[in-house]
Amino acid sequence: MRGITKEFPGAKALDGVDLDVEPGEVHCLLGQNGAGKSTLIKVLAGAHQPDSGDLAWDGEPVVLPSPTAAMRHGISTIYQELDLVDGLSVADNIFLGHERARFGLTRRGETATAARDLLRSLGHPEIAPGTEVGSLSPAQQQIVSMARALSHDTRLIVMDEPSAVLTQDEVGNLFRVIGELTAAGVAVLYISHRMAEIRAIGTRVTVLKDGRTVAGGLPADTPTAQLVALMTGRESAYDFPQRVPGGEPPERDEVLRVEHLTQPGSFEDVSFTVRAGEIVGLVGLVGSGRSEILHAVYGATRPASGTVLVDGKALPPGRVTAAVRAGVGLAPEERKSQALFLQDSVVRNVSISSLGRFSRFGWLDRRRETAAAAERVAALDLRPADPQRAVRTLSGGNQQKAVLARWLLRGCRVLLLDEPTRGVDVGARSELYALVRELADSGVAVLFVSSEVPEVLGLADRALVLREGRIVHEAAAASLKESHVLDLVMEESAHE
Amino acid sequence: MTGLVLSADERLAPRSMVRRLLGRPELGAVVGAAAVFVFFSFAADSFLQWSSFGTVLYASSTIGIMAVPVALLMIGGEFDLSAGVMVTSSALASSMFSFQMTANVWVGIGVSLLVTLAFGAFNGIMLVRTKLPSFIITLGTFLMLTGLNLGLTKLISGTVATKSIGDMEGFPAAQDVFASHWTIGSVDLQVTILWWLGLVAVATWVLLRTRAGNWIFAAGGNADAARAVGVPVARTKVGLYMAVAFCAWISGQHLLFSFDVVQSGEGVGNEFLYIIAAVIGGCLMTGGYGSAIGSAVGAFIFGMTNKGIVYAQWNPDWFKFFLGAMLLLATLLNAWVRRRAEATA
Repeated sequence: MRGITKEFPGAKALDGVDLDVEPGEVHCLLGQNGAGKSTLIKVLAGAHQPDSGDLAWDGEPVVLPSPTAAMRHGISTIYQELDLVDGLSVADNIFLGHERARFGLTRRGETATAARDLLRSLGHPEIAPGTEVGSLSPAQQQIVSMARALSHDTRLIVMDEPSAVLTQDEVGNLFRVIGELTAAGVAVLYISHRMAEIRAIGTRVTVLKDGRTVAGGLPADTPTAQLVALMTGRESAYDFPQRVPGGEPPERDEVLRVEHLTQPGSFEDVSFTVRAGEIVGLVGLVGSGRSEILHAVYGATRPASGTVLVDGKALPPGRVTAAVRAGVGLAPEERKSQALFLQDSVVRNVSISSLGRFSRFGWLDRRRETAAAAERVAALDLRPADPQRAVRTLSGGNQQKAVLARWLLRGCRVLLLDEPTRGVDVGARSELYALVRELADSGVAVLFVSSEVPEVLGLADRALVLREGRIVHEAAAASLKESHVLDLVMEESAHE
Repeated sequence: MTGLVLSADERLAPRSMVRRLLGRPELGAVVGAAAVFVFFSFAADSFLQWSSFGTVLYASSTIGIMAVPVALLMIGGEFDLSAGVMVTSSALASSMFSFQMTANVWVGIGVSLLVTLAFGAFNGIMLVRTKLPSFIITLGTFLMLTGLNLGLTKLISGTVATKSIGDMEGFPAAQDVFASHWTIGSVDLQVTILWWLGLVAVATWVLLRTRAGNWIFAAGGNADAARAVGVPVARTKVGLYMAVAFCAWISGQHLLFSFDVVQSGEGVGNEFLYIIAAVIGGCLMTGGYGSAIGSAVGAFIFGMTNKGIVYAQWNPDWFKFFLGAMLLLATLLNAWVRRRAEATA
């Protein structure tokens, strides 16, 4: 690809991108959110047409007017937003658009067999081809997406953050498959925020910034600091804010106390406390019950037994309104669908939990509402600093700030964060970490869940390690080693 | 592999026959139909007689023929509010063309097929070209067709109904195809029942056994994903609207050949009955889920309610009220059964 540009109304998404991928290599694409990665792969997939620039395939100039044309050339794409049809079976999803059919009739037996073979080669024989995709876990859906990419006669596979929903050993499995593919001469274009993965499987790296290639074809062992500098235009990797000097948080009042919380099948006998000004990190694999615990604390689900106390008072189980009134706020993992009103302005999104304060006789005082929300937005350095902008147009990191601003305005006592940096780029992460620390310093008790062990160790005061729904270890985060935590998290999973 | 993934595997083990049956979209409708049947068996003495059975099936088939393509369209993620008046348009086109232009009704029937398919194609092409919601587009065609039906009929016939074509060439043969009936024992069976069951069978087979069926589910379940893998979403949707039009043509010809004249104001409001039958039958309003058999069960519930009220000799002034209440109850029951089925599955 040479000099690709693509303009959307109001924004130049790609402004001269060069990229070359060779057979049998894993080419990693790095860049912050908004750098143009997604647009670039959509051009490759034939979903977008470039405004200028040339594509060459096997040395021949080529145009890809449609997704079908791209697939005919052997380019398949695994998108970050899972693009499966829930109501269709696994096998039907895999062969959707290029059904095994004769005279319009699907050959069900053949389709099911081919699907089973593909899933087996991906190391997931347990996914039955006849299962409806909607009933699968996100990780399993990702496998189905991959199987679909492989169901074509593929020569280039584009993977957009494939590891985001996978557990550690599923990522290992993914890498094994990628190894097999490249050995067979297939090229892989791999997009990820995780440096460790790029180290593990990358051949070469191309870095995008603001829609331009800032470095192409670097060796994969280029130092992280250099890559981050290229991506952000700054020198350092993301860093964590300073904990309170001395390592020990001052003895403050206990705000959140969870006692013997149990939900059969999700988590069992979970007890812990969070003090004011303290950040507690929950670390565990996908499916270890970490998000479920947050939901139970927030009252979104009703646990089978156990108590949640805020400031010493027990919350009625399964009542979000009561939890919010007691000062509990949640920033959920699925920000876009579970926390934000995407079409609405930043102000409306921030003030939604505090409207009572701005209303009098049923009328909203829009001026005061906007002023108060704008103040919080400014305090969090949300960019662009226009509180009337639709939340939809913000980057992931700034959307997360809008959610935080909401709870800041509400004045919450306990803040629950579920994967706060998912889909947030490296540069914005450091800012979010600093914000969470500031919130804690102002006296909020923070409980957060993360799949990234370094994040928990770097940000939290105290870490709780979860395995299969139970807290198996609790320690000051500063005293824990990453490898030790990984061992704890996966102990049971070492043997089949 | 982790123990957690293993426990997830158990959920993926092949489900038992009973479980699979419980997961079918039409399950709630079947339970609802049984409830309505039992109710009228007690409420109306004559409901259980064989002759009533034929009447109920006939009432079901008139709605059911249209509920089939409307269900497919809903699975494909779209609505058609013009379906009700399109039936009348089709009957009017056939009748008036035959009367004005030729002496043979089959010419009118053929012209009507082309005209009606063109209406369907118009709905579909407008939808994929303008990307407006189908609710708006078909509301527009609904109003336009309503006006066209009355305006053209008055312009050509001078009255609100068409002239009789009963004495024209081909009328008896066409009546055999679209509006005949036979008697088996004491049961009087209309030919529309055959059309209906045939359409249900074809639609079910298309949905479950052909690539077009996969495309319909994909277009309604996740149109972006479908497009990204090369499913011709636009073509699928236009095709669905034309399927609605095709069935409107069948219904329209039945309307015409049951008698020999057509009232230009008929059909308004029926589009909702089709949608209700599809929804009772398990179609989601959001698309991507449903079945053709379910729409047939939904139409059957309508037929039973419609005639059951008559057999129970309730005051016909209250007919619509009972109809609405029955449909609401059946849908609630349907949703409840499905929730229970999902909870145990």
